[in-house]
Amino acid sequence: MKILGRNKLITPAMIQTLKTYPYPLILVLIAFVVMFSGLYPGRFLTPLNFSTTLTQFARLTLFALGPTIVLLIGSLDLSYVGIWMLGGVLVWLLMPILGMFSILVYPLFGLATGFLIGVLQVKAKIPSFILTLSLLFTFAGLASWLTGGVPRPVREYEFITEPLIPRIPTAFLWSIPIIIAAVFIMKRTRIGTYLYAIGSSEEGAGLAGINVAKYKILAYTLSGLFTGIGLIILFSHFGCAAPVDLKLGNVVEPLAAMVLGGTALAGGSGGPERTALGALTLAVIIRGLYLMILLPEVVDFLSGLLIVVAIVIGARGLKGVTVT
Amino acid sequence: MARLPLSQEWLRRNVTTVGPMVAAIAIIAGFQVINPRFLSYHGIVALVNNMSIYLIAACGLTFVIMTGSFDFSVVNVLRLAALLCALNIDKLGLLVIPLALIISVGFGFINGLLVAKFNITSFMATLGVSFVVDGVALYLSGKRLLIMGGERGETFMALATTRIAGLPSIFYWAMGILIISFFIAMCTPFGRRTYAVGGNPIGAGLSGINVKRHRIYVFMLSGFLAGLAGVLFMAWQGGGSMEIGKYMPPPLFASVVAGGTALTGGVGGPHRTLLGVMIITWSEVGMLMLALPRDIIMVVFGLIAIVMAIATIDRRRIKIIK
Repeated sequence: MKILGRNKLITPAMIQTLKTYPYPLILVLIAFVVMFSGLYPGRFLTPLNFSTTLTQFARLTLFALGPTIVLLIGSLDLSYVGIWMLGGVLVWLLMPILGMFSILVYPLFGLATGFLIGVLQVKAKIPSFILTLSLLFTFAGLASWLTGGVPRPVREYEFITEPLIPRIPTAFLWSIPIIIAAVFIMKRTRIGTYLYAIGSSEEGAGLAGINVAKYKILAYTLSGLFTGIGLIILFSHFGCAAPVDLKLGNVVEPLAAMVLGGTALAGGSGGPERTALGALTLAVIIRGLYLMILLPEVVDFLSGLLIVVAIVIGARGLKGVTVT
Repeated sequence: MARLPLSQEWLRRNVTTVGPMVAAIAIIAGFQVINPRFLSYHGIVALVNNMSIYLIAACGLTFVIMTGSFDFSVVNVLRLAALLCALNIDKLGLLVIPLALIISVGFGFINGLLVAKFNITSFMATLGVSFVVDGVALYLSGKRLLIMGGERGETFMALATTRIAGLPSIFYWAMGILIISFFIAMCTPFGRRTYAVGGNPIGAGLSGINVKRHRIYVFMLSGFLAGLAGVLFMAWQGGGSMEIGKYMPPPLFASVVAGGTALTGGVGGPHRTLLGVMIITWSEVGMLMLALPRDIIMVVFGLIAIVMAIATIDRRRIKIIK
């Protein structure tokens, strides 16, 4: 306790500076990069590790961008893994009928799922997390049943992530325009402004004349759409197949990227650009942990612990929320 | 608005009690018609066996939901407790039970601390903790299949498998836990505080209840019962791996909600959960008898959870639901 407080090593003024600094996470990111480069001189700052980190970044960010929009209005959307799993099955099922167009099932299915979640959550007024969690289980069950428990690859879409520039994964290149689109919608359009307002105070936004129900449904729909578009790339990236076995890690890691980035769980502050930064930091951390000579189980445990700490820090100051 | 006739008024007020009862009877009748062996001796034993583990774990979850929070980590704690028993039975004998229970309560305490002291939404906190619990379980068991054996294993398994009056003792465990939980909820200060905290946390605080401490106690109770369910699960099954409880979360969450304990808190109770567990496990056994695949059963429970959450939630009390 001697470290914090007045006349100590770190003064309150320094903490205040850190808090008001736009992105303290950049410092954390730099610290981790320096730390890992020092720990594994010959292995961390290599081209191979660089491209693997970018791949991890693309994975985390493409999953987390859509749900960030929902998190900004103070709700939770966990359906992304469900869309991934069931969408992959639908692509496989519709391949004989639609041919090459069947990959478009992903954005359409994401859009439909998001719209359904939005309408159910807003009209029936149930907590978003239990709704999206139940939907996640439902989709996972359907995916597993329709495929008989075996992933069904569709080897037609590998051209989407064909290597373009050596050492730079194409999935990462694709993720850049999608991040820019998300940032543009949230920062430069009326929709984004309204969604930030709803996240800060739903009641206030309603009193100011915003159609809260409509824009909340729109937020869920956008989330599903972004997830669907990102999944086209991830589907191709992961060997043109989607998993049919539900893993908790797939759900938790993008959540951690969002929270680590600094989008508050209460809504109203943060944004897609912060999620991208959070995803980059988490990707560096995950790579660093994997480079340690440790059992994979220990790495899972450590990353789980780290995610909990990130959530604890990210959720500080959240008050008066009972059902979420 | 014109006054409704008395019977309709009563029905409207008690729809969350009557609904699940009607559903339970309809399910029994339906499966009995489809498969006449549903209510035979073996059918009933299968039902009771299926019910017991769910009932113990669901009682703990009920208390958490009654305070308006949610505990995602129940199944993971259950799995960890079960694996701890199997790992240490040769070294510790029956002392594995207190060991597993203490660790389970410890994780419940962490959940409660995160929710009450750090003001984290319970769902996020318990989701993160469940990830850590899984990490610990995976580290300890390493994906191996652990099997109870030896003399000590036999003694341990006798906890749940001894037959009393034709039914395995796990059934009596579950009934005992249910009655104690019901007693705690209805007749003790702890139970009444739980309802008060769930019904109106601010009001409960103003009337002198230490809301934060109470939330921690409730999460510890949930951890304890999840751990006990894990111990009894291991005693009943005699072995397991990381696959324990893989299909458990949807039916477990659905059963608490299906009984009529609303996610908004303040209403419901262990007796409601008994009803919910009956509906869920009986329909599960019925669907398995119809040879439906596990995945489809999971889909059905996911949908039941959504429908029942919509049906039970108290919309008058909260204006904004996130």
